[in-house]
Amino acid sequence: MSLLLTSLTAALCAAAAPPAPGLPSPPVDAASLVRDADRARGGLAEGITWTVEVTSTEDGSATTTAYLVRARGDDALAEVTAPAHAKGEKLLFSGGALWFIKPGLKKPVAVSTRQKLAGPAAAGDVASTNYARDYAAELVGEDDVGGAAAWRLELKATGPSATYDRIRYWVAKSGRQALKAEFLTVGGDVVKTATFEYDNKLTVAGKPLELISRMTITDAMGEGAVSVVRFGAPKAEAHPASIFTLESAVR
Amino acid sequence: MKHGWRLAARNLGRNRRRNLATGASIALGFCGLVLIGGYAVRVERFLRTNTVYLQQVGHLAIYRDGGLERGVAQPARFALSADDQRRITSVLGGTPEVELVGRHLIGMGLAGNGCTTVPFSALGVEPEVQARVLAHPEVQAASPELARPLRGELLARYPNVAGAAALSAGLAELLGKTRIHDELAASPPNGSAALAPDCAVRTGGARADVDANVQLAALTWAGTMSAVDVEVVNLFHTPLAETEDGTLVTSLATLQQLYATDAVSYLSVYLRDARDAHRLAAALERAIDAAGVPVRVYPFDDERVGPYYAGTMPFLTSLVGFIGLLVAAVVVLSIVNAMTLSMLERTRELGMLRALGFSRGQVLGLCLREATLLAVMAVGVGLALALTIATMINHSGARFSPPGVPGSILFLLTPTPALCAALATLIVPLAAGAAWLAVRKKTRASVVGLLHEQVS
Repeated sequence: MSLLLTSLTAALCAAAAPPAPGLPSPPVDAASLVRDADRARGGLAEGITWTVEVTSTEDGSATTTAYLVRARGDDALAEVTAPAHAKGEKLLFSGGALWFIKPGLKKPVAVSTRQKLAGPAAAGDVASTNYARDYAAELVGEDDVGGAAAWRLELKATGPSATYDRIRYWVAKSGRQALKAEFLTVGGDVVKTATFEYDNKLTVAGKPLELISRMTITDAMGEGAVSVVRFGAPKAEAHPASIFTLESAVR
Repeated sequence: MKHGWRLAARNLGRNRRRNLATGASIALGFCGLVLIGGYAVRVERFLRTNTVYLQQVGHLAIYRDGGLERGVAQPARFALSADDQRRITSVLGGTPEVELVGRHLIGMGLAGNGCTTVPFSALGVEPEVQARVLAHPEVQAASPELARPLRGELLARYPNVAGAAALSAGLAELLGKTRIHDELAASPPNGSAALAPDCAVRTGGARADVDANVQLAALTWAGTMSAVDVEVVNLFHTPLAETEDGTLVTSLATLQQLYATDAVSYLSVYLRDARDAHRLAAALERAIDAAGVPVRVYPFDDERVGPYYAGTMPFLTSLVGFIGLLVAAVVVLSIVNAMTLSMLERTRELGMLRALGFSRGQVLGLCLREATLLAVMAVGVGLALALTIATMINHSGARFSPPGVPGSILFLLTPTPALCAALATLIVPLAAGAAWLAVRKKTRASVVGLLHEQVS
């Protein structure tokens, strides 16, 4: 009994004391890691406006579509600004559903976030960045990604609005930004890979924030199609909830 | 032998009961073969019509080389451009066996009703060509029910309706499009369709049927999102059950607008005579290649373009062949049995004929004439019986559901003159051969032996 009490006391003292140099770090909360990574990828509760340009190279031909994206929390409205023939088309992510709206079309079309947008880029890659909401995260290890120490997480979709079934996700220990992702099928096959770069700067609530500037998505199963998603001109803007309604978007 | 046929006919009257039984077995056997054959002809015609006309494969389907296998995944690379189409049409124009040519575009995407979307597979057609194809006499004879829309009219009847489209009944149900253009025009709905319908309060698809428009969304061949409105003008059953929940047919122009292209997936070629398909496939492939378009030309019975036809026909042929063989065996055994008994009873008569100077060949010839006459008369009776039964069945209105085909079709038996003639030319010699087997031994016996043989 005395041995048991001694062990328990030692364990409690060890837990209360700050970690000594050389000892393992305190446990990392996977969900908070994903939340922080979401913020760096544009998932700001305060609201953001920026441009997103998707350039896809597939079968030897390249297409570029530019969007003006307004987002707030879980909602996002992406409006096509180029090419000219597609100008005015919109993708609205609202209430967990994604809608494609085209000028002149009688009704909006509900599409899946998995809907291919261009090349390997899916609609959800542009309009839905909230991994913390759509996935259950589990910390599974640590890796070195391009010379940066990173946590390796396994994300599993928790609802139908998730763009992918599973994501293997690397988040930098310094800065807590996503560095790399592998998008997997339910069976564990890698269908796409993505890398992230953070060259955009924004001040949010008085604090500087490094924001995503480029996401490169590569098709891992086909013939190497690539989509480069460039994020530019970020502005912190508080958008009214009304702009993210279907009624407003179709007008 | 002079008066041989007359003598044979008179001999047939001597053993009426036995000859009646033998004749009846031949007649019933022939009748059975004609009816089975009529069924096989009906099913073959249905399957061929289904593949060639209803699925609009044509007797020949012309794809760019690799287009059949990879056209859906890489349409821009494996479709037939406008220039390709002109070159191919030019070659086909110089082929007198060609009756009609249709251009088709195949594509996939999402069909929406403002609240929900359902995946679709679409076929773009030229409405005027489709109308001619579905009105073809072959279609009207074999599958008139499947050629007619369940409700509404063919696309060609709506030249002023933008994006006129036909939905498979299953797809229409999934989208809640229970009323079509004509029905809504006849009785305007109370409410109007909202630009952004309140899907949350919609119950049981009740809101979706206030209009007949459907939105089609897809990726253009260049890889960007696109969408068009279509108006549901008719509902139809697809030729195959597995495509019933997701098939849509609209004009080629509408589908080309959706995919932002002027290309087509394939050309369907309708021939005046289906029997020319194989010969022309190779010849046209060479001619079109020589015109500068690398293509593959597939006849309708190629399993790659007509899997249902190609998969069903060998099974049907073997089944009907096996049953036919059994019926033919019964007929042969009946004749052998009857003729053997007849020869046993007529042993002394044969001896008498030989004693009167008839040669062995003449006696054998007499017996073969008897069997042939009997078979010819029985075939006539069997044919009359078969045609009567077929007529009764065809007028009964009985229907059946072929495997893999949604809905039902009329149960018809179509014994063609060619089929009846072919079976008659099979049965009559078969009967004569069976008689020859039975009597040849008797005719080899000596005259004395025949005259003194005891018949039990």
